[in-house]
Amino acid sequence: MLRTKGIVSLVVLLAMVVVALGSVAAQEEQIELVYWSMWNETEGQALVIQKWIAAFEAEHPNIKINAVWNGRQNQTLVRTALAGGTVIDIVDQDADQIAGGLMQEGFGLRLNDYLEMPALDEDVPLKDVFLPGTLDLFAMDGDIYLLPYIYNTVQFWYDKRVFREVGIEVPLTWEQFLANNDKLREAGYAPIAAEGNEPFYSTFYLANMVARIKGPGFLLQTAEDPTGEMWRDPVYLQTSEMLRLLWDRGDIPAVTLGYVWPQGQNTLAFGEAAQSLVGSWLPIELANMVDPGFEWGGFNFPAVEGGEGSVNDTQALLLAFMIIKDTQHPDEAAEFLRFIMTKENQQLMADESLVGVTRKGIEWAPAIADAQAAAMNAERIFPDVDGVYAKHAEYLNTILGVNYSELWQGKITPQEFVDKMATQSAEYWATH
Amino acid sequence: MRISKRLIILFLLPASALYFWFFLVPTFSALGYSLYDWRGFGTNQSFVGLNNYVELFNDRLFWRSMSNSILILLLGGLIIFGLAFVMTMMITSGIKGRKLFRAIIFLPNVIAVIALTTLWGYLYTPKFGLLGAFFDAIGLDQLAEFPWLGPDTIFWAMLVAIVWIEVGFYLVLFLAGVDKIPEDFYEAARLDGASQFQMFRLITVPLLWDVITVGMVLWSIYAVKIFEFPFSFTGLEPNVNSYTVAVYMYILGFGQRQPIYRLGYATAVGVMLLLVVILVVMVLRRLMRREQLQY
Repeated sequence: MLRTKGIVSLVVLLAMVVVALGSVAAQEEQIELVYWSMWNETEGQALVIQKWIAAFEAEHPNIKINAVWNGRQNQTLVRTALAGGTVIDIVDQDADQIAGGLMQEGFGLRLNDYLEMPALDEDVPLKDVFLPGTLDLFAMDGDIYLLPYIYNTVQFWYDKRVFREVGIEVPLTWEQFLANNDKLREAGYAPIAAEGNEPFYSTFYLANMVARIKGPGFLLQTAEDPTGEMWRDPVYLQTSEMLRLLWDRGDIPAVTLGYVWPQGQNTLAFGEAAQSLVGSWLPIELANMVDPGFEWGGFNFPAVEGGEGSVNDTQALLLAFMIIKDTQHPDEAAEFLRFIMTKENQQLMADESLVGVTRKGIEWAPAIADAQAAAMNAERIFPDVDGVYAKHAEYLNTILGVNYSELWQGKITPQEFVDKMATQSAEYWATH
Repeated sequence: MRISKRLIILFLLPASALYFWFFLVPTFSALGYSLYDWRGFGTNQSFVGLNNYVELFNDRLFWRSMSNSILILLLGGLIIFGLAFVMTMMITSGIKGRKLFRAIIFLPNVIAVIALTTLWGYLYTPKFGLLGAFFDAIGLDQLAEFPWLGPDTIFWAMLVAIVWIEVGFYLVLFLAGVDKIPEDFYEAARLDGASQFQMFRLITVPLLWDVITVGMVLWSIYAVKIFEFPFSFTGLEPNVNSYTVAVYMYILGFGQRQPIYRLGYATAVGVMLLLVVILVVMVLRRLMRREQLQY
């Protein structure tokens, strides 16, 4: 009897030790991922990400994600924090910005192997659930470091009611676009809403026009030409003249010169202007300003006759996650990114933040349905300023942006723009 | 009571240590960083000697920014101090509601800069802004649509707003100084038949000289490194036509939307900014040197 009691006691004791050891082991496996975010905590996108985190933590009780909501200066703060030894596992930012910053400096974890893993909710590799071109947009030598999760297109946004009232259709060519503008002017509308002093937006015209005439990639090639002579390619004089024509014809009203953001785009909401070349975030930005009957439509920059680019080539401004390569938990961080790419999670972002997302088969909000169509039909996509933004931000800010703004504002002629760009580009590359 | 040197040193030590660690060390570190090509990511730096400074001297945007900063300093200063003098003269002339006027004129100083830039941005908006509506109401259609924030006028539009904000601060400073001047001086001058302007020129200004000097030094430092207003005045990004040196430095080193991140080069801009501030203050102190009046 005593012996039996002894054995039972020993078993109980052993069991307790095992449980205790197991508990210690489980505690040791607790993992904390640190995510520094480009969002402010109360923004719609941040609220969705908070839901993603909560759901992920519920599925993975041993992983905790600690989010730091930094807002748009995130990358700058990350830079300083990493230099100071702060542990950060995941960051997000506009893909153009992060590609030109942390990624270019080699802080990104290569994601190719993780992208070969199956998606969580579909029997295909994760890489195959993305909309065409999005994963490769900032690939370096075939290596992928960014996982895009929000998709903005740059298109002309308009009120379908106005087009019906004036009796015009979505233009597919530049000539149709100008003809539409004539009718809009006659009907009392300013054909184009824009800002006179906002290069971030006005360069949409340059990038799209050059992409239509020479195809995506040509503007970046030109910017990288150390001699600057590529700026003398006829496409730049033609582009400059066509853009100035919009001002000279009054398609862009002269008063636009005095608008800073968002004063120009607001004229679209007020019903004064008819179209605005902006990102697909515009319907959300103007949601509280437009009247309830406003019917949002979007169309791609029109094709130019004889041009090498297609009307379906789309300027895509993506927002992306990146895993910091020195993370101690790459697999868990990658698992979180795989998790956010499920249909359910992507649909949640599309529904609650009313933005475009990068996964195929998700229904975007009705106001940006045309953005989704553009994303799905895109033959090629190209980033901001055709990649100049990400790869040569200083050149864009100090050379291209300055001279292009002067052209846009009519302070220099198209020929002067071409000459200045050729000369100053050569000077720039001689010292950089 | 004689205080021992050791005790003085002991009391000075904490403040001096903080000053040394948080000001002098970063300042001299900045001098070092300005000699490197460095984006601020990790420790990937390469020594370039004085190349950043050579590049700076050929940098069109740097000189444009410097010229804007100097214009704010000189022209802005002239207008601000001129207005502050006139207002001081008027408010100290015995008018009723002195405190109310002072509070109203000082008010912009207690409002967040971002709110002020938004206010002024909409004030200048063609057609829909306050100016536009005013000109529209009086039938001046062309002025109603005038692009105040266009490339040729945006800097001047900004300068007007800066003057509007800053004049209140210097007015309060001058009024505080005027309060210290004995009333007897003015009474004697009145008995001698001096006009308001004569009293201001011959009593107020000389006895206020130290305050004016301090005010000018404060303005010079503020004006040369002015950042917040130009940075947030022009929409999404600061406009090159209204760049100041501090804004340009920030754009180069820390980025707004564009990932430039040339921290080494931006530091060279910062060093130049520091040198300009020191130079301006030295010149000003020399120009303003006068025999001290006791009263």
